[in-house]
Amino acid sequence: MSAAVMGPVKNRVDGRLKVTGGAKYSVEFEVPKCAHGWTVESNIAKGKILSIDTKAAEAVPGVLAVVTHLNAPKPKQPASTKERTHSHGIQNEERVPFSDDEIHYAGQYVALVVGQTIEQARYAASLVRVSYAPENPLLTMEDAEHKAKKPKENFGDDVQIKKGDVDLALKDSSLIKVEQTYTTPTETHNPIEMSGTIAMWEADDKLTLYDATQFVKGVQSVLARAWNLPQENVRVICPFVGGAFGCKGAVWPHVLVAAIGAKAAGVPVKFHVTRRNMFVGTGHRTPTSQTISLAAERDGKLKAIQHVTHTLTSTVGQYIESCGARSTGLMYETPALRIEETVYPVNISTPTFMRAPGECPGTYALECALDELSYALKMDPVALRIVNHADNHPTKNVPFSAKHLKEAYELGAQKFGWSKRNAEPRSMRDGDLLVGWGMATATYPAHKMNAAAKVQLRADGSATVQCATHDLGTGAYTAFTQISSEQLGVPFEKVTFELGKSDFPFGPVAGGSNSTGTVGTAIHEVAQLLHKALADLAVKDSASPLFNLKSDDIAMVAPGRIGSKIDNKKSDAYIDILKRAGRDSIEVESQLKDPEENKKFAFQSWGAHFCEVKIDPLLPRVQVTRVVSVMNCGRIVTPKPARSQIMGGVVMGIGMALTEETAYDFKTGMPATRNLADYHVAVNADVPEIDVSFVGEPDFAFNPIGARGIGEIGITGIAAAVANAVYHATGKRVRDLPITIDKLI
Amino acid sequence: MNPFAYSRATDADQAVANISTKPQTKFLGGGTNLIDLMKMGVETPNELIDINRLPLAQIEELPGGGVRIGALTRNSDVAEHSLIKSRYPVLSEALLAGASPQLRNMATVGGNLMQRTRCYYFYDTAFPQCNKRNPGSGCGAIEGFNRIHAILGQSEQCIATNPSDMCVALAALDAVVRVRGARGEREIKFEDFHRLPGATPNVDTNLQPDELITAVDLPAIPFATRSHYLKVRDRASYAFALVSVAAIVDLATDGTIKTARVALGGVAHKPWRAQKAEQSLAGKKADEQTFRAAAEAELAAAKAYKHNSFKIEMAKRAIVRALTTVSKMGAAS
Repeated sequence: MSAAVMGPVKNRVDGRLKVTGGAKYSVEFEVPKCAHGWTVESNIAKGKILSIDTKAAEAVPGVLAVVTHLNAPKPKQPASTKERTHSHGIQNEERVPFSDDEIHYAGQYVALVVGQTIEQARYAASLVRVSYAPENPLLTMEDAEHKAKKPKENFGDDVQIKKGDVDLALKDSSLIKVEQTYTTPTETHNPIEMSGTIAMWEADDKLTLYDATQFVKGVQSVLARAWNLPQENVRVICPFVGGAFGCKGAVWPHVLVAAIGAKAAGVPVKFHVTRRNMFVGTGHRTPTSQTISLAAERDGKLKAIQHVTHTLTSTVGQYIESCGARSTGLMYETPALRIEETVYPVNISTPTFMRAPGECPGTYALECALDELSYALKMDPVALRIVNHADNHPTKNVPFSAKHLKEAYELGAQKFGWSKRNAEPRSMRDGDLLVGWGMATATYPAHKMNAAAKVQLRADGSATVQCATHDLGTGAYTAFTQISSEQLGVPFEKVTFELGKSDFPFGPVAGGSNSTGTVGTAIHEVAQLLHKALADLAVKDSASPLFNLKSDDIAMVAPGRIGSKIDNKKSDAYIDILKRAGRDSIEVESQLKDPEENKKFAFQSWGAHFCEVKIDPLLPRVQVTRVVSVMNCGRIVTPKPARSQIMGGVVMGIGMALTEETAYDFKTGMPATRNLADYHVAVNADVPEIDVSFVGEPDFAFNPIGARGIGEIGITGIAAAVANAVYHATGKRVRDLPITIDKLI
Repeated sequence: MNPFAYSRATDADQAVANISTKPQTKFLGGGTNLIDLMKMGVETPNELIDINRLPLAQIEELPGGGVRIGALTRNSDVAEHSLIKSRYPVLSEALLAGASPQLRNMATVGGNLMQRTRCYYFYDTAFPQCNKRNPGSGCGAIEGFNRIHAILGQSEQCIATNPSDMCVALAALDAVVRVRGARGEREIKFEDFHRLPGATPNVDTNLQPDELITAVDLPAIPFATRSHYLKVRDRASYAFALVSVAAIVDLATDGTIKTARVALGGVAHKPWRAQKAEQSLAGKKADEQTFRAAAEAELAAAKAYKHNSFKIEMAKRAIVRALTTVSKMGAAS
């Protein structure tokens, strides 16, 4: 671990709660008189509901309400995408559930049964009879060709990029070229905790939600808008999340369904999304088809990169998986660059962010194409990447800040033993097994959002810090405790960090790997305010060594002490200041403001994956046997969870490369593989030891914490590293993920 | 899940008497498949008779060298039992290749025999077509997503596969299923226990609805010590077989095959005894060419669909690999 690390290595502050069952997840809260919701879903992909017979369901003992579009209390449709920003919450599926008789995709909720017990609700739901007038659905890119769109931007970023003359380079016969199409299937997040909501109307205009979410403030905002309530009348509570990977970032229909059900039944309603419905109702990574064209000089220097992406979205949302713009658009130096994205709206449920949305499939395609180019050039794939290393952002023309990608290649290659690689496919063996070594670059942008924080420092020297942020199981509680300890100057053991409540100061969506840096910055700001408030007390106190100094000349000089910036002999302890002032505690809160943009640099995280696979030539299931990952993400706040984040990304990337696919039945538009027996995530036996290291220094040009975020970069590039290793082992280039055994037979 | 009654049997005769008077009643063993199917709305019994307290969980030696396995023996106990490991390694391997330790600790031998297909169209009642679940509704898989489906013995009505690993080993071992019904006890030869789908894919087995499986008998097969279960799947653990092979070979000292028993999993509606392959192997030299010829003979009749054509070549290769592994093992001890 050579990257700058903050403070001593700590165990997770919530570790004990997690392993003893003391950590309470959203649907585990006990709410008096709480009833249970169970839904009926459409099994046609497009059409209209003709009738719904709910009589048998209503007659089941314990059933309190059966809600359909005919009787549902109706929240407002959300404002159009243009009127909203991330801070107002995210609705990837824009349609309000039960709003009308239209069916837009198979699996759409068409009725909700509220029962006193979950068994009653589930049984009654099986008795609801729905008849439909089906229409021909659009289910594939070919079906939706005539509706295809080329969006200009995605959350403010350009997604169609053009620089230089790509066509000229691609036509230049003196250059070495690669043009290939790579596809990725629909993938589903599958966090261990399914989504779920308990909705409780405390009064007609007061709603409390326990919701498994990556964005408590977003849920608050969306629900307040839907029911026309003041923000503060909607409270959202979510102290722990059991994994999310993006599927809990937006407000999905089930949250509104719970609130609608609670309103209709007049009691609190718990609605826990089933694993089966997690494959429809909470988003997925949309399938992609990506064509990469590269043209290079014989020395490997790239003259043109083109990345043309086709993806699906739904007819009730506008989600875009922007594969090229945020990876290929900036990864390598090139005089000519073209990124194109085309989106096809189909009658399949709405896709969403899934760990490194865009960058993950994007790096898969580009990094495989570079491997193919390395063979066309007869050049080592690491050397090819170093030749094309981008010191500057290729379209913004500013240098990348604290970029140490070359060190990552070097350290990774050294740890892996890359120099011993014989580049010839099928040349390396372990007994009867084919051995393959592959590598790829990882990258993920450093995102910055806005947040505020509140701190209470007590006279016993302890402090509580609050922000409406989230811990998705990532170790955020520990990271924020560590940052608070450093920034406040309070010992780690004396800091309590609280999150997961909409009552706290604003925290952004825990997405885009932004939380550590964004909330860390808010903690930095509130710590300065605390030091200022303590200084204001001290300068008025004749017993203080700081009496009569200007409080602007005072700052933290050591943990637990503020002192003069001019005269280092003058300082005072927080505890003494509070005691002499007769205060038990002091409280300050920072204000929410737009993040400061440093336009002199581009901010991006980098890394390199090296991977070994072994394959039985007769029965060629791919076994990954070694992974070395070296990451450059600025400062590492908490080394243990940080390493786990990268490992988790690699594990998920192995699943993406080899096994994960949500396969659809194209007659009905329903997923066929929609449980954990049929949707194959990597299990322990699929995962080798993963050697994780970090390089580089804190990126203080990015934020005062120096951290660029680590949640997503681990999954970028890894599928390409595996696929490249498979090619090296077998001589067969599989360009359609996942690389299951049948594709190598 | 439909409302259902629950009772607990303390006596096998009483359990049988009970079920013969109550239609739509099922015995509950480990529940690892039945309860799941009830939650999915696929199985809707009126009553469950819990048989877990019946004294049917012993593994005992039979006169003549065979072994009797009680129907309620847990899969993990069978897999780890010294008689099974020493005499029928193929069965132990097959069990350990299945499910997870947690499931194997619950799942019973009798329940494993009754395990139902993992066909997507059967398992999810939202799919309108499934002749197994809803006779006459059609087969959603034939023109749907059929990557895991059958290549041998299927019908126009159903292309589902039997998902069990254990049963593939039992097929190769010529096991006998002992059942008790209102009309007394009877034995069912293993090859007659499971059915091909034909025109009635809704009926998985020849067990009558009022019959209780009490035990599985394994005959004495001295050369079964030279046996192996090979499972080919999508990930390294915890996945159903795409194709599997149970192989038992009796080798003469000169390296020719006296007798071979081969059964396939993942390819048919029932554990598939590869008789054509066995005939092809008998009396031949145990080498790759022989194995490949046997595999070709068995799969000559295979028929594939849009997504599962790989299974034909995969099954051939798996047969070759399993037979190679077995023939390289030490001689029968």
